[in-house]
Formats: sequence, structure tokens, C-alpha cells
Amino acid sequence: MAEEERKRNTLDRGLLKWLEGVKNLEIEDVDFVIDRLEFTLPTQIFRPPLLPKEVLPTGKPKGILTSEFSIPVDTYRGGVTEVVLGATKSEGGTRSRTITVGGSKTPAFYAFEDEKPNPPVIVGDVFDMKVSLPKPVREHFGEVLEDPAEWARVYVEKFDVDMIDLELISTDPLINDTPISESAKLVEEVLQAVDVPIVIGGSGSPKKDGDLLSKMAEVAEGERVLLSSATPDLYKPIAEAAKKHDHSVLSWTSLDINQQKELNRNLLEYLPKERIIIDPTSAALGYGIEYAFTIMERMRLSALWADEELQMPMAAATSNSWAAREAWRKDHDLGPRNLRGPLWETTSALTFLLAGVDMFIMLHPAAIRTVKEVAGWLMKENAEKTQKNWLDLEAV
Amino acid sequence: MSFEDIPVDVGVIYEGERIRWPNTYVELGGPRIEYKFEIVKSRDMSEIEDGKVTIIGPDITDVEAGTSLPFGMYIEVAGKEVEADLEGVIERRLHEYCNFIQGFMHINQRYDIHLRLSKASVKKGMNSYKLIGKVIMRLYKTDMPLIEKIQMTFITDPEKVKEMHAEAVEIYNARDARARGMKDDEADVFYGCALCQSFAPTHVCTITPQRYANCGAISWFDGRAAARIDPKGPIFAVEKDECLDEWKGEYSGVNEMSKEKTLGEVKRVWLYTAFGYPHTSCGCFEAIAFYVPEVDGLGIVDRDFKGKTVNGLPFSTMADTTAGGTQVDGFHGLSIEYMRSPKFLQVDGGWDRIVWLPKKIKDRLIDFIPEDLVDKIPTEEAVTNVQGLKAYLEDQQHPVVDRWKAPPEAAPEEAVEAMEEAPEFSTLAAFPRLSATAGGFKFTFENVRIHADRVRIQRVEKQG
Amino acid sequence: MSKKTSPLDVFNLLPKTNCGKCGEDTCFAFATKVADRKVDLELCTPLFEEKNYKENLGNLEVLLRPAVREIRLRSTGEEVRIGGKTVMFRHEFRYDNPTSIAISVSDTMPEDEMLLKVKKASEWGYRYIGMDLSLDLIAVRSNSNDPMQFRDRVKKISDNTQMPMMLCSFSPEVIEQGLLALEGETPLIYAANRENWKEMSQLSIKYGCPLVVSAPNDLDQLRSLTASLMEEGIENLVLDPGTMPDEGLRDTINNFTMLRRSATRKEDDLSGFPLLGAPISAWCEEDEEPEIKAWKESYIASMLMSRYADILIINSIEMWSLLPIVIWRTNIYTDPVKPVMVEPGLRKYGDPGRDSPVLYTTNFALTFYTVQEDFKDLDCYLLVIDTEGISVESAVAGGKLTAEKVAEAIKETGIEDMVDHRKIVSPGLAARISGETEMESGWDVIVGPKDSAGIKTLLDKKFYQ
Repeated sequence: MAEEERKRNTLDRGLLKWLEGVKNLEIEDVDFVIDRLEFTLPTQIFRPPLLPKEVLPTGKPKGILTSEFSIPVDTYRGGVTEVVLGATKSEGGTRSRTITVGGSKTPAFYAFEDEKPNPPVIVGDVFDMKVSLPKPVREHFGEVLEDPAEWARVYVEKFDVDMIDLELISTDPLINDTPISESAKLVEEVLQAVDVPIVIGGSGSPKKDGDLLSKMAEVAEGERVLLSSATPDLYKPIAEAAKKHDHSVLSWTSLDINQQKELNRNLLEYLPKERIIIDPTSAALGYGIEYAFTIMERMRLSALWADEELQMPMAAATSNSWAAREAWRKDHDLGPRNLRGPLWETTSALTFLLAGVDMFIMLHPAAIRTVKEVAGWLMKENAEKTQKNWLDLEAV
Repeated sequence: MSFEDIPVDVGVIYEGERIRWPNTYVELGGPRIEYKFEIVKSRDMSEIEDGKVTIIGPDITDVEAGTSLPFGMYIEVAGKEVEADLEGVIERRLHEYCNFIQGFMHINQRYDIHLRLSKASVKKGMNSYKLIGKVIMRLYKTDMPLIEKIQMTFITDPEKVKEMHAEAVEIYNARDARARGMKDDEADVFYGCALCQSFAPTHVCTITPQRYANCGAISWFDGRAAARIDPKGPIFAVEKDECLDEWKGEYSGVNEMSKEKTLGEVKRVWLYTAFGYPHTSCGCFEAIAFYVPEVDGLGIVDRDFKGKTVNGLPFSTMADTTAGGTQVDGFHGLSIEYMRSPKFLQVDGGWDRIVWLPKKIKDRLIDFIPEDLVDKIPTEEAVTNVQGLKAYLEDQQHPVVDRWKAPPEAAPEEAVEAMEEAPEFSTLAAFPRLSATAGGFKFTFENVRIHADRVRIQRVEKQG
Repeated sequence: MSKKTSPLDVFNLLPKTNCGKCGEDTCFAFATKVADRKVDLELCTPLFEEKNYKENLGNLEVLLRPAVREIRLRSTGEEVRIGGKTVMFRHEFRYDNPTSIAISVSDTMPEDEMLLKVKKASEWGYRYIGMDLSLDLIAVRSNSNDPMQFRDRVKKISDNTQMPMMLCSFSPEVIEQGLLALEGETPLIYAANRENWKEMSQLSIKYGCPLVVSAPNDLDQLRSLTASLMEEGIENLVLDPGTMPDEGLRDTINNFTMLRRSATRKEDDLSGFPLLGAPISAWCEEDEEPEIKAWKESYIASMLMSRYADILIINSIEMWSLLPIVIWRTNIYTDPVKPVMVEPGLRKYGDPGRDSPVLYTTNFALTFYTVQEDFKDLDCYLLVIDTEGISVESAVAGGKLTAEKVAEAIKETGIEDMVDHRKIVSPGLAARISGETEMESGWDVIVGPKDSAGIKTLLDKKFYQ
């Protein structure tokens, strides 16, 4: 092929040389005698080839041209705030240790910008009543699913989570309308059962959550919990309770960066930014995850640009990923769901991890384990740098 | 905020409620009645008795079911932050608030209002304007904390309605004149709106008295009210700071705000032009001003215009280029109201530079297009393509013609010539190399003899 | 850094003859579409065919060249485009050319097994929101190191698939045989490294095929090789900075990020090439179960996709490990400015009868999914109205959700023949158009809750009475 091209190019150049001084030339009564004339009639719209038409081996250079890669470091005006959750005995609580969330001064895992982040925080998701969970999740917990305190303990002792999220969904007037006093008892029970810092979640009922979370804030005073959540429709009583009893607040909006900023502005009237964590809503993989991913990336960048309204750490509830039917559906064609489901949650979590999320509220132990493992590797400096020779892999 | 003391329900779900005539107890205003109005006036604190409702004329149940009446709603507000400039914004809320009342319907605004109260609601106990007033005033005070005191008057006495209607019309006209008359350099601040940043992270609108927001929904007055009502909301005051260029509309305060809000992407803004550092757009602009290079002018197309514009592209295609918060020369998002402004694209020549626009828009803006230009700017009725446009503009001696330096070259002819020549001379290099991907036919001639009576070789100069 | 090319700049370099060959009425219209990357420049045939436009063409190619170059691979029937990114983050401008997934086979696999895998890869499909998702390439690795065996296998694969291919070997002799087997196609050559780059560059030129440059975890060397190859005149390059699993993930992610930032934000031409990731490297670990290896491969693939990989070499063809990757790819490559839509029309949930409730919502995918979750336990009908993918609140405000549209949907879906009542439940945020909707459709509108979670309660209160 190249030879023909070379011939063509030679002919072109020859012709051009001949025509050098020509502006207007007419030849009459001329014969063209050609050995071989080829042309083609394409049946499709042709796309010209992409290589430069006249690439010939130039014969140079002899050796590799050395060129140094310049590390593309940027400077940032701001960073993500650190939020401390939990309190030890000396601080007025009963937790064995505190957890620090956030604090990054670069985009997520930009090791080349000398980032030394706090490790992401893994929170085990516990519900105060029996909920329908997918089988791959259930089989790791068995009976404890009916006993929140035990459930929490399994998360901590067996699966090594950093925190527990106790979701008091049964208090929803449309579900069981569990009295607040009962929830108060449960919170105390859970605080006894585990010694990690906790998140206390309401049911999402705008009618009840205000009173509920206010009471729980009181009950848990001293433990520096995260109250979940303040929303655009309901934030005042929760913010006030957090202020009064020294807790933090999860600021939750629905995939709308403007709404998030506004809610944060409102919360900042009551609390410093060191006591707010953002939950932009972690939509499921396949069901809106890209909205969440982009909002998270943007929020991290805004934090680095010192936008005070977005300088809080972010949380993602990857338990949401199980809403995708691909995650839980029993379907032979889609492969074994005991692998498929946890991988669905894992993929979501790692996606959010790279977008800048600092706190993960999770369900499946395999996903939990993978996130911890991967985060550990991403943060480990001076690791063994082994390139794997995948090219020579025998048939796998 | 509760309405337990009101005999009917109050809430957002009633917003779209329609009351049919057979269900109507009393109709207020409407097409059958000549005089109707609603108006908000700002007052001094001392002039208002907070929560007072005055009724001039028959109350609701003082008339028979099925009656239509002339009607006026007169609301007086006071507060530290309340000023005359905010009256219009406050007034616009009346429509919503009336509709939130179960069985109460409000359509249109100002001197076109049309209201109906249902028999069912009257039966439940809504028998006095006092109750309606209560709800409305409560809603106002909750939603707009800047209103510290408020009182309402309902007028159903025909003579009084007629008298106050005249006053109201004067106030409306004065407001409009002020709104249109207010100059950018008179404003103490501008307003920024980041409402659209969810869709366009690098876009922020700067709203000035003479440059309406691109979406067409927010005037400088609206911005002012919004920033006061909801200082935590997406609309905020922007300090002008130093005026760097009055003609182009460049202010250092605006530049700073833009840099900050767009994460550094948009550093400079010239408010009154579509070139250089134009004001950006998100995606919800009402219209686009697009450059037509063949005539060195700007065409206008609005969102509702269907089909191809004069340059062969429809609104939707150009919208993609215009949107997204980037500064692109020659694709400029705008609102219809901005086209009424004396500063409309003044750097580019204003209306002198507009070469085409849809008929509907032309009709709407007819009073604002300089009289001598009206016939010179074609719509889709006269011109649908660029060649026609050129001819038309020349014919009508549109000012843009002065910008043309030389008549356009006979470019098409040259191009054709070049094509005829190429295959004959450049051998296979002119034909794209056949790649098997194209698929087709390969012709091979062997031992060829071509006789030509004449062969012409002509140099063709580089173009562009 | 400009993400959007100015249509004016493009226009100034076009023939400006308005000849119409590209299919647009005017050159400016064409320029607008080209600048927005909606159509290919190649449609302007005069630009490519006429010598007098050569300089303009050159300038246009530079102007339009994305920060990350685009390379194209071809089989006899198909073309796959790789790279072509103009920005770093998808929120700046949509990503073009979804990451290509290359399924790996080896030339020492039993032939029937190899062909079976090729068949599976070629036929792999999943239907998702009205799209048919599929895979893109076959990557053949030479374990045999035997040029003729490689040639033989490559030919067989080519005969059995339409997908373009990737030829993987560090031996130029092996690669050349593969290229000969694929005459007429444009496969990707993997790869040039510090030992073989001269020979590989000549193959790339001779056969006109794009070339991967590989320098595991050594960006200086990667850059040096790239510079050398460009000096040879090769521009169709793909960069392989190395994919290292487990502890190597830190450097891997780091390298991809640095390269992409250099290309898009520091205008570094030598970084401006598509990036190749090889999650398949997860299979190198000897002591792990295949499920673990496939698990790792899958999440490494997804992570690399989030961090700028334009092509991925993957081994496992299992649905469970491939599906999350392919779905995430579809998601990340959606245009952030255009809402994701579902098909409008009538949906049924449970076993609705003649007195079951009828509700409506918009066809914005997120609205639909959320709402659907709350309906799936009910027996009801749901009308999905076409609002061009806009959510309820915005659609009402923007006039995309109107009384007329709802009335139209009622007529078109034939729901009037399926139920005996005439009551329809509207979303709470569409309260404003409820009265008009009643007038237009003749049905009674029950305004529902703002949040579809409250639907059951509402139906109990207002529908079932």
C-alpha cells in the first residue's frame, strides 16, 4: 500500500514541478497514453483516512527523544472542612474513639498534589424494624435483622464498620407510628451495644422528624451524633437540636446543587460548617447515578474554590444502589445475584469515592470490605509498584 | 402557619382549581364587568393598622348567589425594607394566594382580574371578605418577612370601584414607565441570579434595569425583591464597583462576581454585546441573536418559532451552541424584554444590526423598533434564506449594508471550476484512496489512450 | 482552555460557498454543527477534495482537534471511535465516544473456545432505557509468540466477527502477521515500548494503523516514547500508562488523572491522546478465585472509566461482572444538559381492573423511576406524559406539561376504554393545571401528593373513598 502511495506522490510532485511557473496553460490535440488507470466508485459515504497523507519514515530520530513529564499541580484557595463525630469519655461521651470526616485539600485521591486525606468513613445501615432487604444482604445477617442492637453489633464486630446509622423508619406515622419514647429507648440500647459513633436517622416524615430528632438529640447528648436529616422542608428544629445538644447535621437535598447551597446557607445560621455533612442523594447505578456523580464532583471543586456553602464533607447512602432491579432481581441471564448485587453496590460506592464522597452508608459486607480495601490502597504511599504482565496471561 | 380558623382548606393543591358558573356563588370582575383591579401600595408604618380588613360595598353573602360584581382589591404594606419599587412583585403574589383558598379562583392580573367563589365554600362558612383577607395577609407575612404590617380593602361598590380603578391604572402606567425608564447607571446595585446553575455550572445572569434576565422571568425589580425576601436564595445583589466601560457595559464588580460564581470560567462580561465577552446563557433563554456572516448582521429567533430560520438552522440547533454557560461569539441568549431596552445590543449597533426576526416577535416589539427600520427588517414571510436576505437588505437599504466592504465574490463559480479540473490532473491523489471500508467498485483500465481536443491547466490561488 | 469551538472561527476557514454538499443550507449552519461536534467535518467534501483548501483544512483540523485526539478503528463493516474528549469533567461538556470495551482472547486458547468467546462478545447485548447496549472490540493476545499461529487465529476471529480488533504483542514479527491477516481493516496495535518502538512505528506507518504506547508506571518514559513516535510522523497514538491492581491502584489512578489534566487543562499535546486501561491485569494474581478476579476486574474497569479511560481491555465476559461497567458507561456518557427520558405511554402495575386508579407523571427518567417504585405494589394505570424529559415542576413552569398534553395522552392511550370511572390523579406539583386539565379532558382531577411516597394514603382518602 505504501508503495502505491509513494508512486502517487512522486507523480504528483513531478507534475507540480512541471507546472511551477504556470498560470494558464492550454494544450490542444493531446493524447494520454497510460499503462494502467484505476479509479473507484464508493458505495458508501467515504471518510478520508486519518493518517497524514504523506507520512514517510523520515529515518530520524535515532534514539528516544527524552521528554520529562511535568506534574500538573494546581493550587486551591479552600478545601473540605473536617467534621468530628463521636466523643470519648474524656470528651463527655462513651465512644471508644472519634471519627474525623472530610478535610481534603485537593480533588479526590490526587496523590500527585500531595493529598493526605482522612480515610473514608464506612457506616453500617441499620433499620429499627424488619424491612425487605434483598437476599444477598439478608444471608449475611440472618436473625439479627429483627434486633437493631444486635444488627449493629454484627456490623461492628464482624464487618468492621466505623459507624452505625440507626434509621428510625418505624416512627413514620404512615408506617408504625412508633412513639418517640420507644425510639429513645432503642437509641440508648444501640449506644450500649456498640462503641462506635452513630448516625440517628428519622423516617423522612416532615410531620414527625422534627420532634423525633430533637428528642433523640437530647437522649444522645454528649455522644456527638450525626442527625439525619435536615431537608429544605424541615430543618429548623433539627438544626436547633444539633446546636443545643452539640451534634452534627446531615444536610439532604435531591440532586439539586442550588437547593443544596440554600439549605446549607440556612443551616449555617445555626451551626458552623464543622458540624454539617452534605447528602446530595446518591441515585442508584443505572437510575440517575450520573447526576449524583457530577453534583459531587462539582461540590468538591466548589469547596476547593472556597465556596463556603459547599465546603462540608459529603455522604452517600449506597444502600440506595439496591433499588436497581439489576442488583436484586433473580434472573438467570444476568448471572448469580449474590455476586451481581454486591458488585452493584461496590461499583456505586467506588464511583462516589472518586467523586469526593467521604462517608458511605452501606449494606452489603462484600461492598464494605472492597471499599475499605480500595481506599486503603489508594492512600498507601510508597507501595510496591508491580506492573502485571497481563499480555502473557494464559487463557483464563 | 395554620388555617384552622378558616372554614375551608388552604393549600398548594388548590392552585389550579376552576370554578364553573353553576357552582359560582359570586363572580368578581371578569369579562362581563368593566371595572376591576388589584393593587398593592407601599405605605409608612404609621399609616397601616396591621391585619385590618375594610369592605366597601356588599359583603359576600349580602348578594344573591350567581351575581357578578365590579371588584377591587387594595392592599397596603409597610416595612423597613418595603419600598415602592417592590409593589409590582408583591402584587404578583395575589394570584397564587387567592388560588390557594379552596373554592376561590383567581385569573389574570391588574385590571383584567377574574375571580369566583364557589357555593360549596360559602356553604362551609366563607361568607365574608374578612376571611379571605385573613388568609391572604397571613400568607404574605409568612412568605415575605419584609412585610411588617399589612391591611386590605375589598371594594364591591360600583362607584368606588370605578373611581379607584382610574387611580390604579395611573399607578400601573407610572410603574411601567419607571421600569422602562430606569437606567443602568441609576441603579445602586445589580442583581445576580444563579438559579440555572444546576444545569449550567458556569453560568450566572447579571440583571440590570436595562438588561432583563435571559429567561424573561426576572426584572431588576424582581431581583431586588427576591434578594430582600430570600437573602439566602439564589438571587443576590451584585456591587457594580468600578465602571470600566460604560458603552460595552463592563463593571469590575460584575467581573468579580462572575469569576467567583463560575469557578473562574467567566472572568469578564460586557453586558450590551454579543461579541467579545458576551453575557452567557444557561438553557432557558427566550430568544437567540445569531450572527449571519453573509450579511454581517444579527438574526433573532425565539423559542416558539418552528422550523428553519434564515440561516437554515432551527432554534433548537442554535440553542445548543448558545447554551451551557460559555462565551461564544455570535450566539447570544436574550429575553424579549431586553429587546425593548434602549441598550439592546448597543455595542453591535442595536436594531440597526438586526437583519431578520420572526413575525410574531416583530409584532410584539413593533413599538420599540425604530420606525425607519420596521420595513427594512424582514421576517419569515419575506425572506427564508441567506440569498434572499441579502437581496432584501440591499433593496431596502438596511443600515447593515453600509458595513459590507465589497460585494461578495463569485465564489461559487470558482469552486465549480476547481472541481472540474482536479480529477483530470491530480491522478489518484485527488480521488480518496480507496479503503476497503468504503466498499464499492474499482475500475481498472489498462493500456489507455485518452484523446483530448483541449486541455486547460489553470493556477487557482489559495482561498481563505 | 476552551471547551467550545466558536462557530465563527470554523466558518472563516470553510469554503463559504454555501454549495450545500454537506447537507446544510449555508456554510455557517454547517460551521455551527461542526463546532458543536454534531457532524463530522468530512461532510464538507470540497474541503477535502480541493487542493486550494488544503491550508484551511489543516487549520481546521488543528482548531477542531479535541484536547484528547480521536482515533478510529475499523473492521470491514464497522468503525469504532476512541478518545476525542474536549474537557476533563463531564459537567463542562458532554463526553463523546463512550469508552470502548475490548474483550480479550488468547491465540493459545483452544480454537473453538476462542471462537465461542468471540461470538459471545459480538452478540452480547442488554436493553436499557430504549437503548441496545453492546461491546466494541476484540483484543487478541499472542501467548504463542508464533507469528503464523497468530496470523491464523486473527484471521479466524476476523471471519467470525464484525468488531474491529486489537492486536496484542510486543513482537513486531507477530504483529506484522496479524496486520497482514487484517488487510483492509484498521486494528489497534498493542504496543510500542522502549525496546520495540522503532519497529512498531514502521508497522504503524506501513499499515496505517493506530499504535498504543506503553510505559508501565513511568510517565517520563511514556512521554519520551510519544515524542519519538510523533517525530516519526505518527499521530494516531493511544497511551498505556499501566494498570496495576491492588496497591498499584494509587499510581494507576494518579497517572490517568495527571495525563488527562495535562491534556485538557495544561494544553500539553504529548498527553493529548486516548488512555488505555487494562483491568484484565486483575487476572494476574495467582492465588485468587476466578470470582474474585472478575470482581476486581469489574470495579477497576468502572473506576478507570470514571477517571478518563477511553478504552478498556477486559477478560471476563460474565454478565454479572460486565453489566455494572456497561451501565456506568452509558450513564457517564449521557449529555449532562439533556435529560434522560423514558418512553411515554401507558404503564400497568399489578393487575388493574376497570375501577383501578389512573395516575399520570412525566417521562423524565428520574421522576419515572422514583414514582414507579411507589406504584409497583398497587394495581393501577400510569400515564407517562412526554415532557421531553423535563421533571414535573419545571415542565409545568416551562409549559411542557399542559392540560392539553394530559388530555391528549388520555385519548391516545385508550385508557377511557379500560376503566369505568373518569378520575385521574395528578402529581402534586401539577396542581396549577388541575382545573384546566379537567376542562380539557372532561375527567376529574385529584391532585396527588408532592412526593409519590404518599400515594397510597391519598388513594385511600380520595380515590377508593
